[in-house]
Amino acid sequence: MISVSDLLTNNRIPGNCFAIGAYVQGDLEMGLLENRQGDRLLALPETLIQAIYAGLEKETGQASRLVLFNCGRWWGKNFYTRFCEQLVSYYQQAPADMPMIQFLQALQQCWVVHGWGKIDFDQTYQNRGFLVVKVWNSAFAKHAPQATHPSCFLEAGILTAFLSQLTGRELHCVQTTCESMGADCNYFVLGLPKRVTPAEALVTKLDHDAIMQTLCQGS
Amino acid sequence: MNPQIEAAFDDAENRYLKPEELGLISQYTQSIPTRLETYQSLRDYELEIMQWVADQLEAEMPLESVDNLERSIKNGLLMLRCCAMSMLVNDEGLIRDRFLVWASSMTTVYESHLIDTTLYGLMNHRLNQVLGIERMVLLMPMLAYAQNALPSVFPQPVLEENGIAIGW
Repeated sequence: MISVSDLLTNNRIPGNCFAIGAYVQGDLEMGLLENRQGDRLLALPETLIQAIYAGLEKETGQASRLVLFNCGRWWGKNFYTRFCEQLVSYYQQAPADMPMIQFLQALQQCWVVHGWGKIDFDQTYQNRGFLVVKVWNSAFAKHAPQATHPSCFLEAGILTAFLSQLTGRELHCVQTTCESMGADCNYFVLGLPKRVTPAEALVTKLDHDAIMQTLCQGS
Repeated sequence: MNPQIEAAFDDAENRYLKPEELGLISQYTQSIPTRLETYQSLRDYELEIMQWVADQLEAEMPLESVDNLERSIKNGLLMLRCCAMSMLVNDEGLIRDRFLVWASSMTTVYESHLIDTTLYGLMNHRLNQVLGIERMVLLMPMLAYAQNALPSVFPQPVLEENGIAIGW
């Protein structure tokens, strides 16, 4: 016999942890936007992102890619920790104990509520050891200064750090298509570094599926 | 708050409300006592209603696992609570943001369409019995919105339940 009162923990039924009405809060008297955890949120104007690209390009040239990637990695590592804390606080459950679908659904909603675009996961090559992540409406692709090479190094860094922590393996991430190059979506492939790195040389020559075929053959 | 009413307030510094806008607000405020009664009834009878639904569901679907039934019942509870709040403030957006966005993927991944549909039928029936017609007039549009918006066919699962077993 199912007991409904046993299904309610502290009379709560958790839903969407990142529902916009509940998630974004603020103390406008102090000029602060916060999430429900009390972490500070900032609205970034698009011109600031353009300025970051321009400044980095001017000072570091080609190295700006690596700078952004490493910034993303640092951010991703901390983002993973804070994200898990938020899940524990809201769902009263450790991420390791919740179904993966729930964890990924929460991540998708977190991405949306911060205005980072839309994120989704593609399992097509999962049995070959590659996870493909798709991001639409990336702010960093939109304001990338040039269109000859994928530009979402910050997101690639975030995904590398976040998914490395999630899986407990050191992963590497390569972006295979980019909205700044006219694609409808940003594709990122993640896997063990020695298996994914060959994609870096292919991104300007082949489309995503062709790159994935090459990576699968090379393994 | 109902988006139409909220939008009416947005222009406060530019003008006073037009008669038809005031009419909207007047309509809503007049309906508040019934909305409050309905909300309070839902609060008071939620457990009783859902326990009845759970008992009937178990009886009608004896071959389904307890886990699957419990998952759908919890979803039904979340739906009922979101619909109650939406009904109180007359804003479907709450259902979309707090419930649909969350529940749609779960329904697809767990392929719970059949259990869910059975559950909604039982829930709506019991709510009708407990709340009565007048209160259901307020609540039913919200329930219909939530129930109809969920995936209604058996698509291919987009993600396995514990999908990131990538075998590294």
